[in-house]
Amino acid sequence: MRTLRVSLGAAGIALIGTGLFFLLPLPGLLGVVFWFAGAIALHDALIGPLVLLVGLLVARLPDRAVVRGALITMGGLVLITIPALLRPGPSPNPTVLVQDYGRNLLICLAAVAVVAVVLVLLRRRR
Amino acid sequence: MGRMKPTLPQFRGRLHDPRTAVAIGRWLGSAVVICFLTGLISHVLQHPPSWMTGLLPVRPVWGYRFTQGLHVASGLAAIVLVMAKLWTVYPRLFAWPPFRSLPHLVERLSVALLVAATVFQLFTGLINILQWYPWPFSFTQTHYAVAWIVAGSLLLHLAVKAPLIRENWRKRKADVDAADRRALLAGVGAAVGAVTLTTVGQSLSALRGFDLLAPRNPDVATQGMPINRTAAAAQVTYASSDGWALEVAGPRPYRITLAELEALPQRRVRLPIACVEGWSADAWWSGVPIRDLLARAGAPPGTAVRVESLEVWGYYRVMEMPAQYADDPSTLLALRLNDEVLSLDHGYPARIIAPNRPGVLQTKWVSRVEAL
Repeated sequence: MRTLRVSLGAAGIALIGTGLFFLLPLPGLLGVVFWFAGAIALHDALIGPLVLLVGLLVARLPDRAVVRGALITMGGLVLITIPALLRPGPSPNPTVLVQDYGRNLLICLAAVAVVAVVLVLLRRRR
Repeated sequence: MGRMKPTLPQFRGRLHDPRTAVAIGRWLGSAVVICFLTGLISHVLQHPPSWMTGLLPVRPVWGYRFTQGLHVASGLAAIVLVMAKLWTVYPRLFAWPPFRSLPHLVERLSVALLVAATVFQLFTGLINILQWYPWPFSFTQTHYAVAWIVAGSLLLHLAVKAPLIRENWRKRKADVDAADRRALLAGVGAAVGAVTLTTVGQSLSALRGFDLLAPRNPDVATQGMPINRTAAAAQVTYASSDGWALEVAGPRPYRITLAELEALPQRRVRLPIACVEGWSADAWWSGVPIRDLLARAGAPPGTAVRVESLEVWGYYRVMEMPAQYADDPSTLLALRLNDEVLSLDHGYPARIIAPNRPGVLQTKWVSRVEAL
């Protein structure tokens, strides 16, 4: 176990070193550092507390398990669609961002809600 | 110390525990490993070390399509999983005192690196597949470098947490939260399923109908095929190919016009264009096999080629193709796409199509083919 841990850790440090070796000479390094910090800040200060707050609100609901699963699914769908909704201006390439993402996201969220309601009804009948 | 402790949030939810973290961590770890390996495959195909060029496989023709579809699908799944994982361990952010010992400080710093690198990698990757670059660094080079940091800090994290992970695999002590945890994991699984179902159709044609949220939908395309780099972006116009004749360099160099190329025996093949950004589509291509062009120039079989494009500037303006691809009868200088003359965006007057190669190496607007 100890040998495994030490070799795993050593391999990890070696790979991190490899990454830094490739990363440090790149131009725009300050931008990378800024985006790294931004990634942490955005999650820890905004997304994390927001999710916990929603969790607190649904904690006492009946059928919490289904509601929570539906909210996680909706959250995932929103998260992967946000960049498409935020990207400014039309894309210069006519074959990228070809869909109506606002409408499609609403369709997906509605589908999740319908599935959740059906699940709740099925569970109650049992 | 106790008196100096600031007011920190209290967490009473019982699923912020190691068992949940281990369960989600297994899925996230698997997704990250798949993402890393498929990314590495793409890197090697695009920038092979010289000793590997002869080893790159020509078959299966859909190899790059499969690995890169998987790359983006596992990356999108990891976005959901990393959020769930971070939710589980979030209370540990407020551990007090911030560090108890030097090893503990190192452990926390390694976790910070893992979280920052992973979130950075996944979200810049997501933004990149929209062809949106709102940052001051080169995406591809940074994505490659940070991939190693993610993989390394993941291994380091596993080494640090090994006892905790082992404990959760070994002991099946009475678990009062089992039902609640199962429900949470089912929810996370449903989220991964939904994200995959609504995006994977951009590469998996069987699920094309569910492709509602992916940046690409290969059904929305010109001549049945999406475009990665437009002619406008490459500064190529129809005027660029006025008086065009392909230059073939080799032992017996020659120039050949479009009409002469069309008069040569044509071959029609079904091959995909597959992009590292996760979309792909199959199409029919017709044109002249590269090996026929090379034979006319007196180059023997087993010759690698260098291909140049009319485009004024671009990372991939000059492309090198190892011999095994140039030899393959389905590698074409294509003149037609789905039985229509190539549109300008698809590389008029002539482009390369080869099996199992990254889309960026399927050079468009070809001006010169050189036997190496």
